[in-house]
Amino acid sequence: MAHLNYEAAKRVAYRGFVILGVVTIVEVFIALLGKGYIVDGFHLSRPVMYLSMICLSLYKAYYIIFEFMHMRYELPGLVRSVLFPTILLIWVIIAFFYEGDTWFHWREAAREIPAEMQLGKPSGNSGLVPVHPTDSTESVHGVPADSAKPEGHGGPSHSH
Amino acid sequence: MSVVQQKNMETDPLIRDLGHDDHFHAHHHGDKYQTNFLTTYIFSQDHKMIARQYLITGVVWAIVGALMSLVFRIQLAYPDADVSWLRPFLGKWITLGDGGVGRLDPEFYYALVTMHGTILVFFVLTAGLSGTFSNLLIPMQIGARDMASPFLNMLSYWFFFLSSLVMMYSLFVSTGPFSGGWTAYPPLSALPQASSGSGAGLTLWLVSLVLFVVSILLGGLNYITTVLNLRTKGMTMWRLPLTVWAFLVTAIIALLSFPVLASGFFLLIFDRSLGTSFYLSDIFINGQALDRIGGSPILFQHLFWFLGHPEVYIIILPAMGIVSEVMAVHARKPIFGYRAMVYSMLSIGFLSFIVWAHHMFMSGVNPFLSNFFVIFTLIIAVPSAVKVFNWLTTLYGGNLRLNTQMLFCIGFVSMFISGGLTGIFLGNSTIDIQQHDTYFVVAHFHVVMGVAAFFGMFAGVYNWFPKLFGRFMNDTLGKIHFWLTIIGAYAVFGPMHYIGLGGVPRRYYRFDNFDAFRDFDDLNQFITIAAIVTFFAQLLFVVNFFWSIWKGRKLTEKNPYGSNSLEWTTPVNTIHGNWPDKLPVVQRWAYDYGKDGKDFIPQHKPMEEGEEDSSH
Amino acid sequence: MMTTDQSLQKPVSNWDGGREPFKASYGKLMMWYFLLSDAFTFAGFLISYGALRFSSPTWPVPDFVFSSLPGGIHHKPLIFVTFMTFVLIVSSVTMVRAVQEGHRYNKKGVALWMMLTIVGGLIFLACQAWEWSTLMGKEHMTIHVNPFGTHIESGTYLDGDGHDVQKGDQFVAGKSYLIHKHGDEWAPLRYQTESGEVKQQQFGPKAFGALFYFITGFHGFHVFSGVVFLSIILVNVLSGIYANRKNHYEMVEKIGLYWHFVDLVWVFVFLVFYLL
Ligand code: HEM
Ligand SMILES: [Cu+2]
Repeated sequence: MAHLNYEAAKRVAYRGFVILGVVTIVEVFIALLGKGYIVDGFHLSRPVMYLSMICLSLYKAYYIIFEFMHMRYELPGLVRSVLFPTILLIWVIIAFFYEGDTWFHWREAAREIPAEMQLGKPSGNSGLVPVHPTDSTESVHGVPADSAKPEGHGGPSHSH
Repeated sequence: MSVVQQKNMETDPLIRDLGHDDHFHAHHHGDKYQTNFLTTYIFSQDHKMIARQYLITGVVWAIVGALMSLVFRIQLAYPDADVSWLRPFLGKWITLGDGGVGRLDPEFYYALVTMHGTILVFFVLTAGLSGTFSNLLIPMQIGARDMASPFLNMLSYWFFFLSSLVMMYSLFVSTGPFSGGWTAYPPLSALPQASSGSGAGLTLWLVSLVLFVVSILLGGLNYITTVLNLRTKGMTMWRLPLTVWAFLVTAIIALLSFPVLASGFFLLIFDRSLGTSFYLSDIFINGQALDRIGGSPILFQHLFWFLGHPEVYIIILPAMGIVSEVMAVHARKPIFGYRAMVYSMLSIGFLSFIVWAHHMFMSGVNPFLSNFFVIFTLIIAVPSAVKVFNWLTTLYGGNLRLNTQMLFCIGFVSMFISGGLTGIFLGNSTIDIQQHDTYFVVAHFHVVMGVAAFFGMFAGVYNWFPKLFGRFMNDTLGKIHFWLTIIGAYAVFGPMHYIGLGGVPRRYYRFDNFDAFRDFDDLNQFITIAAIVTFFAQLLFVVNFFWSIWKGRKLTEKNPYGSNSLEWTTPVNTIHGNWPDKLPVVQRWAYDYGKDGKDFIPQHKPMEEGEEDSSH
Repeated sequence: MMTTDQSLQKPVSNWDGGREPFKASYGKLMMWYFLLSDAFTFAGFLISYGALRFSSPTWPVPDFVFSSLPGGIHHKPLIFVTFMTFVLIVSSVTMVRAVQEGHRYNKKGVALWMMLTIVGGLIFLACQAWEWSTLMGKEHMTIHVNPFGTHIESGTYLDGDGHDVQKGDQFVAGKSYLIHKHGDEWAPLRYQTESGEVKQQQFGPKAFGALFYFITGFHGFHVFSGVVFLSIILVNVLSGIYANRKNHYEMVEKIGLYWHFVDLVWVFVFLVFYLL
């Protein structure tokens, strides 16, 4: 399968190291620059930052597949048979992420529901919520952590 | 060598003169594989033996799964009947009430429904169907000595076997097998304390299915690479019999969808065993909020149905392939629209990956997103219809041999049409609001997938039984089997559409506490009786099957049906490596029936002077 | 229209049967397609990660979470994981070299470069072990509890944590924090919001910790099994059995594909967990 002579192939290998290394450093640099670690007070907008990092990562993936895994030297049919199926993932990504976003919004909306209609009633105190090893989405659900306690108020269905 | 054996090994002159010498006997394999009982019958690496193993394991599972359905059908039809006579089989799951009246334990009712679904979908119609016929037919029909990697092929079966053992074992644990439905939705499945079946039963269920995924992947890798690399000389892709195309597409779908199921299962295993919350949020148990939040049960449904929908095509495509091939042979006509058949299979394969959420319209999927799933789902009707019309056109004006396998092919088409139509109802999210989780859905998928795939499988078994066991199955018994089965199937599932439209929900233990459903008591009893009759009709098949293995009419000629494909050029008694000497070289497509006044022209017969290639 | 025996006249194509249509052995094809299906497994995980992240109101910021170095050094964001990435890249390069030596039938070269690859894999695993044990042991992030939170509103701290936060420090919405543990007790800090409410730091989304350990663990498991396979094949190389095979060092090529795939997956794990 050696389509390059030995010396040229060796050069490709070492060039791969340089390219992947540089791209990785650029990615980390963008992450740190964008979040204000490098120049004080300087931030990149998120879409710019994310998009450039995704593109650079896709380039790395391309390089690994085509050079390191020798895809470049395979017949087009093989290349297609391996790469085309991954197109299916595009719709999966759209659908799953859209769904995740929906879950978020519906939980937000649940917060708007009047407290007495919710499963767990709010504790009614200062918002100083006893700490459970639970996540911050909790306050968003309108399900305060103390309703998990036995002495907490049960849902409407259990109040009487 | 006896005379019979010599006749058996006699080489086809066409293969002798035009065949391709791959120096089979000079290689290290040859008959070394089958030197003792263990390597011949148990740890065999021969694709034909592995096919038999898959088939027989599948038959055993089919009987187990069908018996389960009888038990819960009896419960549904006669919820007050005394079933203490089942105690010898089900033991403590039949509880004795006042005056010794035996009742089916409700928890066990759910376990039976769950196991029935799992067993039939995965073990019978996936492994038993695609495993059997991909193994038997791929190498023989493409002119290969065996699978690309016989060793991995053997492993594939043994992973399936192991998975079967674990599932079988789970039936006997004291807390009962898993009972949350074959789709294993969280939170019931994510919380071991949710029900007794969600404990050890589900753990074993998950282990079993992870092993099953391994088996499917090992098998699928083999099927794909074998079809690609091991076709004999002259066997272009457009000359492949439709069976092989179907197995290829099936294997590709399986290779891409089962891993995602495995991802979903791994996350579920973590939720269950290590207390993560990938699928849990906002759960209240006895009024107390559970401390496991931030995940989503819908996430599991997405991961599950990303396999789940392709899975239904993994089940039906091999049946479609078998039907196309058997139908052409016994209609003595080329299959109509060969390329359209291939393209429709490919597009079904593609579409099956983008429609999964049509199972989740009522789960709270974003309604805007649902629109796309509706559209994609309805588009599947197009390639499906193309196939149906091609089958009908193949039958039209054919010189039909109405033997058992042909009857089952016709039955398949009938079932597929009936079930496909109800699919179009369900594919519309607005209509699905009414019908989701009713018996209408149960009827839909049993007709289109359950019965139709079984018909494809029966057609295949009756047709290739001589290649599997060197004997024929009894045709008269087979025809009786067919008629009882098709009438029975419609009798069972037809009324289910009706009660489903009436709103009767699936997965309920009994309906007589609901005024709205009381009217359906008679129909439920009718369905149950029809199911029992249909079950006994299947015993005809089982008896026929095992009797014919030893006592059936012997196969005496190589090509009993006048078939074109290569498996009928192999010796009457199959041998390791399939062809004794050279490999056949393929000269034409597989469907030259009734061409130029000839009844059939085998694939390895060269084109004659002036003959037109009919393959396009 | 073909008139006579075409198999003799037509130019033969790779697809005509009796040959390998992709000019690749079935073993290599199997490896490619296995990797394709494995990619779908990882895609399942990573896409689930995305869905859960979208469903969460906040998400820990990677450069806050992953900022420790061995030797008790803190606040050096992403340096350690960049090193880990380099280790994998280097081991991929050494693997490429091993395959190239295989094409030259240079047994010693193959063995040497494979050995280096194995070393790379082991270093990576060691790094991961350190990373995990720091997160679990020092920062107390587990699959159940995620102490890395994000403020959803601006405010002023009413307590100090004895590390980086002093009483009276101000913060803005979006600022990350780590809830410390004193002995067995969590010590979330109190703060006053701009509207004057007194609140307490909340734990971050649980899914973050669980997904992190799960997905990097699954990747680490691939690295580990890769090291095992590499070692087995290395022994075979040294024993010389590949030299006599018809396909020579193809086995090295196949395990090479697997190894690069592990690197490939890391590109995406690195992207979603450490960069985005
Ligand atoms: C025209 C083609 C088809 C369409 C539009 C269609 C549509 C649907 C829809 C929308 C559902 C969900 C119903 C609900 O749960 O409310 C469904 C269920 C189902 N379909 Fe189909 N279907 C089609 C063909 C098939 C085929 C060919 C098979 C199998 C070979 C199949 C097997 C199933 C199964 C197994 C279920 C139920 C799974 C469960 O909930 O347990 N369908 N179908
Ligand atoms: Cu579906």
